[in-house]
Amino acid sequence: MKKFITLVAKILLAILVLLVVLDWGYTNVYLRSSTRGKVENVFNSKAENYDVVILGSSRANNHFVPEIFEKKGLKTFNYGMSGAHLFEASLLLKLMAERNYKIKTVILEADLGLCNEKESEAIAAKFLPYIHHSDIIKEHFSKQENFNELYYIPFYRYIDFDALIGFREMYNTAAGAPTNILHNLGYHPLTSNKRANMKNDIRALKPIRNKYYEEIKQICKQNNYNLISVMTPMCTNVKGLDYFEKANKIYSEIYNLENVVQGDQYFSSCGHMNDAGARMFTSIVIAKFFETK
Amino acid sequence: MFFNSLTFAIFLPIVFLLYWFVFSKTKTAQNAFLVVVSYYFYSCWDWRFLFLLMFSTLLCYFTGIQIEKSTGERQRKFWFWLSIIFNLGFLAIFKYYNFFAFSFSEALSNIGIPSSPLLLNVILPVGISFYTFHGLSYVIDIYYKRIQSEKNVIDYALFVSYFPLLVAGPIERATHLLPQVKLKRSFDFQKAKEGIYQIIWGLVKKVVIADTCATYANAIFDNYTSMNSLSLILGAVYFAFQIYGDFSGYSDMALGMSKLFGLDLLRNFNYPYFSRDIAEFWRRWHISLSSWFRDYLYIPLGGSRGSKLKQVRNVFIIFVVSGFWHGANWTFLAWGFINALYFLPSLLLGTNRNNMETAELHWDFNSIKVFFSILATFSITCLAWIFFRAKSINIAFDYIEQIFTNRIFASQYLQNQRYSCELLLLVLAFVLVEWNSRYKIEPISGKYSWLKMTLCFLAIIALGTYADYKEFIYFQF
Repeated sequence: MKKFITLVAKILLAILVLLVVLDWGYTNVYLRSSTRGKVENVFNSKAENYDVVILGSSRANNHFVPEIFEKKGLKTFNYGMSGAHLFEASLLLKLMAERNYKIKTVILEADLGLCNEKESEAIAAKFLPYIHHSDIIKEHFSKQENFNELYYIPFYRYIDFDALIGFREMYNTAAGAPTNILHNLGYHPLTSNKRANMKNDIRALKPIRNKYYEEIKQICKQNNYNLISVMTPMCTNVKGLDYFEKANKIYSEIYNLENVVQGDQYFSSCGHMNDAGARMFTSIVIAKFFETK
Repeated sequence: MFFNSLTFAIFLPIVFLLYWFVFSKTKTAQNAFLVVVSYYFYSCWDWRFLFLLMFSTLLCYFTGIQIEKSTGERQRKFWFWLSIIFNLGFLAIFKYYNFFAFSFSEALSNIGIPSSPLLLNVILPVGISFYTFHGLSYVIDIYYKRIQSEKNVIDYALFVSYFPLLVAGPIERATHLLPQVKLKRSFDFQKAKEGIYQIIWGLVKKVVIADTCATYANAIFDNYTSMNSLSLILGAVYFAFQIYGDFSGYSDMALGMSKLFGLDLLRNFNYPYFSRDIAEFWRRWHISLSSWFRDYLYIPLGGSRGSKLKQVRNVFIIFVVSGFWHGANWTFLAWGFINALYFLPSLLLGTNRNNMETAELHWDFNSIKVFFSILATFSITCLAWIFFRAKSINIAFDYIEQIFTNRIFASQYLQNQRYSCELLLLVLAFVLVEWNSRYKIEPISGKYSWLKMTLCFLAIIALGTYADYKEFIYFQF
């Protein structure tokens, strides 16, 4: 039995060493990359100057065209991320502030995301490789249910989110495999989709006083970023469109631009405009917030 | 509580330590402890079905004794059939009733008699097919006077409900496990070490091979209408490795952990994908079930004795019943039927026992034949797996038709955000490792075992699929 216990102890030790070594290896790969995604692009960057930075979910990523801002002489980047919640938008902005980004205006897509304070696993995972290298990320995740496992067990985060930051992503990052995420200054244009479902039901969504939205307001105030919060368009056939009014009742400063682009020809799906719709919407936003200044 | 879960990783060491340090004094203490933890293990799935397991155990235990005690043939038959009817009755109610009720109603509707089937709102108790078969073989063996009934209820309860084999086998025989249970076990380092190696290799098969293949196979099967020929072929191949890695991985873990408690279980898989014909495949795949059907169905039906027609009938019965054992769906019946068709030529030509030894490859002409025989057997096995995996027989036929009609052979981007060809390298590496260790139970033991074990851990940690967590397929049977 003694021999067996020794064997098991050696196995456990070998596993622990492997976990530590793999954790170190993976993290170092992610620390050296800034071209595959927006999170690593910000984390591994130094101070940047922007006139406009766009934050939010896919409804920011697919709706704001930086090229049109640039034509107006506004240096812009779209940091909207498909699937992101305000949890991740807030953290990304904190990292930008920490790196002394000089930003004149932050445009935040604050609409459907207002209804929850949960993290979006698909996006939140992208921050996790850096959890031991950033107090801001550590602090941001510290209230999450699985923080202890993620922070204290070596390599646990790469196992728990293996589809997002596991071997395949690490390998592609190490190999410098290209992605299109940073193309078009972060904007991802959508095409029209004839088979798309042009209706939606958002009656179940209830906007709340959102902790991470409050955080974003606070960060902007502390860093003198001008914050413009907007609600972006949806197709007309939506049940529960009063959501946007309810959100406005909680946060009157959010501009309700939900209905400024109308007609299914401008949508790729009910919640996402196509490139034509995005260009029209961006022009409206510029006209409303930037040309009068 | 899955074998590859964190909860089980805590449960197993606790049970191991208590077993060897607290309850190791007598055989009774060892067995009683294992019965208690086995019942706890089973109750973690659904405690209500624990009563079903206990009832099934007590029924077989009691009827076994009664069959032995009975002096008259009528009495023996009475107890025997009582046990058979109850055991198969449970299986019929929980597993097959809804299927038959629904199929009957559909058949009536097809001939113009509308009816709404009376369906039962029951879930399938996990492992029912396995522990029912344990009990059945025990009672049948007593009836045919092959064994004596077990008088110690704890020992018998352990034979039926021993946790490593409780929910997905292997299907044990009283002649094999009960004699081991009757003796006090002493700790054997060599056996425990083998057990650890087998558990590790089982984990590799499950989390690295099966679960990874599952994400690809699911993405292909669930969207088969938009897949090209290459993706559809790969889908079938990935499913073949998914089900093999899943089930043989589970069996390896079960056999390995049983060795930690000093008990040997029946081997369930013997590198089936290296078979040169379908008869060999069935001697190597789910061995405990195949041999169960051979001994308790095929041979009583006459087996390979009698006229060719009778032999063919017996083959079809055993394969179709075996298919149906897997689940109440026409797809499983079709899968069994197809395997019977595959088996038929070798039965008629008398070549079904040609390949009894493990396949070898050398640099000679015969090896080319062996290689292509293995490839052909694997290909037709994959074709049959399509029926096993598809949601309906029509879908399976559509899937196969599309393989032959699409004729586009380019790697496709799948719903799991991977290219269909990406996994081939991993599957190929797995095949090579298995080929090189086909004379052993697992590839870790022997020379450089520490290096091989470290590589296995590396694969489990870095290449395993965890986020898209999969249950063991055979738990549903």
